[in-house]
Amino acid sequence: MNDILDALLRALAFGTPLLLASLGAIVNERAGVVNLGVEGMMALGALAGFAVAYGGGMGGNLWLAVLAAMLVGAVAALLHAFVTITLRANQFVSGLSLTLLGLGLSGLLGKKFEGFPLFNQPPQWPFTVGAIVLAVVLGGVLQFTRVGLTLRSVGENPAAADVLGLNVGLVRYAAVAVGGALAGLAGAYLSLVYRPSWTDGMTAGLGWIAVALVIFVGWSPLRAVFGSVFFGLLYYLQFRLQGQSPVPTEVFSAMPYVLVIVVLGIAGLRGQQGAAPEALGQPYTRGER
Amino acid sequence: MRFVQLSSPGRWRPLWVSLSALVVALVIAGAVFALYGVSPLEAYGSMFSGTLLSAQGRAEVLRRAAPLLLTGAGLTLAFRAQFFNIGAEGQILLGAVFAGGVALFVPVPAPLMVPAIFVAGFVGGALWALLAAWLRSRLRVNEILSTLMLNYVATSLVVYLISGPWKGQNVRGFIYTDDFPASAQLATLPGTQVGIATLVLGVLLAAGLQLLLSRSTRGFELRVVGENPGAARYAGISAWRVTLLVALLTGGMAGLAGVGEVAGIQHKLLEPSQISLGYGFTAIIVAWLARGNPLLCIVTALLMGVILAGGDVLKIDLNMPYRITDVFSGIILFTLIASEVFVRYRLKVGR
Amino acid sequence: MKASTPSKKSLTLALALGAGVAAVASTLNPAQAQTGSAKLKACFVYVGPRGDIGWTYAHDQARQAAEKALPWLETKYVESVQEGQALPAIDRLVADKCQVIFTTSFGYMDDTLAAAKKYPNVIFAHAAGYKRAPNMATYMADFYQIYYLNGLVAGALTKSGKVGFVGTFPIPELKRHLSAFALGVKAANPKAVVDVKWLNSWFDPAKTREASEALLSQGDDVLSSAEDSATGVQTAAARKVPTFSHYNSMYKFSPDYVVAGHIAHWDKIYIDFLTKVHSGTYTAKNLANVDYWSLMNTGAVESGADAGVAVNPKWVPQLKAAKMTVAGKTVSVYDRLMALTADMKSPKPTFDPFMGPIKDRNGIVRVPAGKVASVAELNSMGWIAPGVVGAVADEPKK
Repeated sequence: MNDILDALLRALAFGTPLLLASLGAIVNERAGVVNLGVEGMMALGALAGFAVAYGGGMGGNLWLAVLAAMLVGAVAALLHAFVTITLRANQFVSGLSLTLLGLGLSGLLGKKFEGFPLFNQPPQWPFTVGAIVLAVVLGGVLQFTRVGLTLRSVGENPAAADVLGLNVGLVRYAAVAVGGALAGLAGAYLSLVYRPSWTDGMTAGLGWIAVALVIFVGWSPLRAVFGSVFFGLLYYLQFRLQGQSPVPTEVFSAMPYVLVIVVLGIAGLRGQQGAAPEALGQPYTRGER
Repeated sequence: MRFVQLSSPGRWRPLWVSLSALVVALVIAGAVFALYGVSPLEAYGSMFSGTLLSAQGRAEVLRRAAPLLLTGAGLTLAFRAQFFNIGAEGQILLGAVFAGGVALFVPVPAPLMVPAIFVAGFVGGALWALLAAWLRSRLRVNEILSTLMLNYVATSLVVYLISGPWKGQNVRGFIYTDDFPASAQLATLPGTQVGIATLVLGVLLAAGLQLLLSRSTRGFELRVVGENPGAARYAGISAWRVTLLVALLTGGMAGLAGVGEVAGIQHKLLEPSQISLGYGFTAIIVAWLARGNPLLCIVTALLMGVILAGGDVLKIDLNMPYRITDVFSGIILFTLIASEVFVRYRLKVGR
Repeated sequence: MKASTPSKKSLTLALALGAGVAAVASTLNPAQAQTGSAKLKACFVYVGPRGDIGWTYAHDQARQAAEKALPWLETKYVESVQEGQALPAIDRLVADKCQVIFTTSFGYMDDTLAAAKKYPNVIFAHAAGYKRAPNMATYMADFYQIYYLNGLVAGALTKSGKVGFVGTFPIPELKRHLSAFALGVKAANPKAVVDVKWLNSWFDPAKTREASEALLSQGDDVLSSAEDSATGVQTAAARKVPTFSHYNSMYKFSPDYVVAGHIAHWDKIYIDFLTKVHSGTYTAKNLANVDYWSLMNTGAVESGADAGVAVNPKWVPQLKAAKMTVAGKTVSVYDRLMALTADMKSPKPTFDPFMGPIKDRNGIVRVPAGKVASVAELNSMGWIAPGVVGAVADEPKK
């Protein structure tokens, strides 16, 4: 029994940044914009959060640290928004550039923080509980409110939304910024709570798992809670079951990615496109339809 | 301010737009150097002299350029056909795995070994891409996501093999295979790690793909499917067949790059991050910079080779983090895709 | 450290420009490198980032200490060099006129050997390995004695009778450390066991975190982590279980829970080796038998929570209260710890953790009675001592 509780707690601890980042990605994807730069935005958020919280060794304000991480994530995301929404560049390649840039910049500028411990470490529970509450709220907002309807219509049918008088570009900009802020927050969780310290490459592919998770849970914030806990559990189990299970540990590490492919495949087999927003990944230009 | 579509972009416009984007990227990267506290002139000077001006540096550039050329040339084809393969990294790994499997476990006569591992590597990389192509064509699974996911699956597969069934006899607890037999070790330029075979293959295949693309019916079909899927359907071109061909070539070429890394440099299978130093992702930039022309990848692969080898120089001479290469790659890719709009549009100030 | 003057640089450029690709090897003739500079140039290849607070950090601290101590020395380093990528880095360092090159990871062994053949006039020294050449020495500041001492501490402190060990790669180095640790645990607490989890990585804080948590979940209440970061210590501190400094003092990461530990002072080796190179005692011809196997009595390794602090004072009373049996007599673990520390620090220690008779965990005799495991045996150790629970790769069947 204790074992199961421990595993659940670890799954939550590891799953929290996944949940935060994938909630962000759900927001921008629901508005029709894919951002594969999650990993890069997380890396930048992790650095910004740590830099402020470290405060030159004196211990900075943790609220400011979290805020800085979200701000940096949002700014990075706006670069993606500008390139893909205003300049109508390929969303996938832009996201990839953002990942490279974010990992690169954080690795370069963070070097001087490497190896320092953080003593004013915030507790984990506000992040975990906050992320779950956010998932519930976001689920409600998307389903039942005007804001949610706006977001969804821009993602499903931008031309129709445009006709209804919605500013498609503006909504998309806002959604991408929110996605970036949450990715930045996920990064801050890593450097302030999970580690707590900063090293180069500390996001270690979590951003990509978050991207995968969005598809896995079919763009639903509520299901993202279970998805992230499930992925967290898989990561933990590869160590917990090491030497005790006949299944090679690599099966656990490959599982999240295989599952995403399987889920997409099943959706395709049923003739659905999953729950993917209709206009996902397509730039929108007024009057080109 | 708004964009005005150009009636005829002109033959050379894409070229100078690309070059301008590159210059802008170098200026922005210079600002990043300054921000980091290194004089941009010193940094660029050091990168330039440490790569192009030294024999060893040039060898390092070629070492990076060979896999980038193979992979990048294949990717141009994929991007032309709107098959967004971002899984070259995984295809490189599968190429390495297949080549390694043949080198280690299949008794091939020595003279036939090198061709055998190249064929195996091609098949390995191609299968990994074909899986994504099949998923897209039959189950409508977005290939960007499937190829990305397959990268991670490939990583786990390699780790499983080298720490499990293929683990070497005398690795003493480490995780890698035994060394390949001598017959499966590729010749390199003397004193360097530059594989001769991969370099030659890269140039030949890049030229071949360019011919395929511009002169053959298959190439024509491929371009039509990429540029105007509606017209392709109308003309009775099988998109499925084109996708298969593209996946076969793009994955296979990446697989060849994987063969070069393990048979030319490491002589064994080892951890995935050491088989491919991110070549699968850098090759996307190579292909994008070449604007879909396989032959141009010779130039762009060399350029990215300079940046990767230059990153090493900065790391050793200025003790800068190697991440600087990611900064370069990110900025170049950003400016490049941002510049694309200027190929077809011009900026008009005022309304 | 950016020492090359403009004239030298342009000379190198001119030389390099003239040479074609085929002439690469000849332009790198190290003999000409050695005559260039008045100072001895020693260069270091690191496997991790300097700020890892573990292995690489310790080497880099030592590099700086050596540079401070030896006025005729200049140094240079490359960090985060992957184990399969050592050769190109070495090529660059040789081209940069490095006369002595230290490669500081086990996995660089074969590449260092290849480089030693390629550059016969450059002196190489490889850490943690066992292959040598006329111009390639080996060196190791080894912790196995200290792991035994830490094992005594862990055995005394565990209430559940289960101690956790986070291992990196199951190579001989880790196996002897794990085994010595387990022998120490058993000596202080014959019923206790050591659970082990492997990362297959030198530096991976996330894996370390979850592997540590998995061990804690299995009921382990003392943790030792061999990974190159402070994550193991941080995790133990967060979960309030005793733990150990690793390679450096990690005391500041957790003044409450770092009880003891193993600290390396690589500068002892670097200064000695470089001084002998400088004086001409060591040349590129006579290193085939030079192996620094530095144990506690050389000062290259120290048993302690912090430099100069053998045991965290907060934990001394508990260790004094804990009793163990030595040769039929009951003594406190603390006293035993101090006695063995003093013995192993002396020029001729009488105690060694791998003193026979020792059977491995499958009951096979590995060190016969009256014998002590040789350095060669320790360097190729495949077996695992009794008390270790968990899968260990490449364990010999007979």
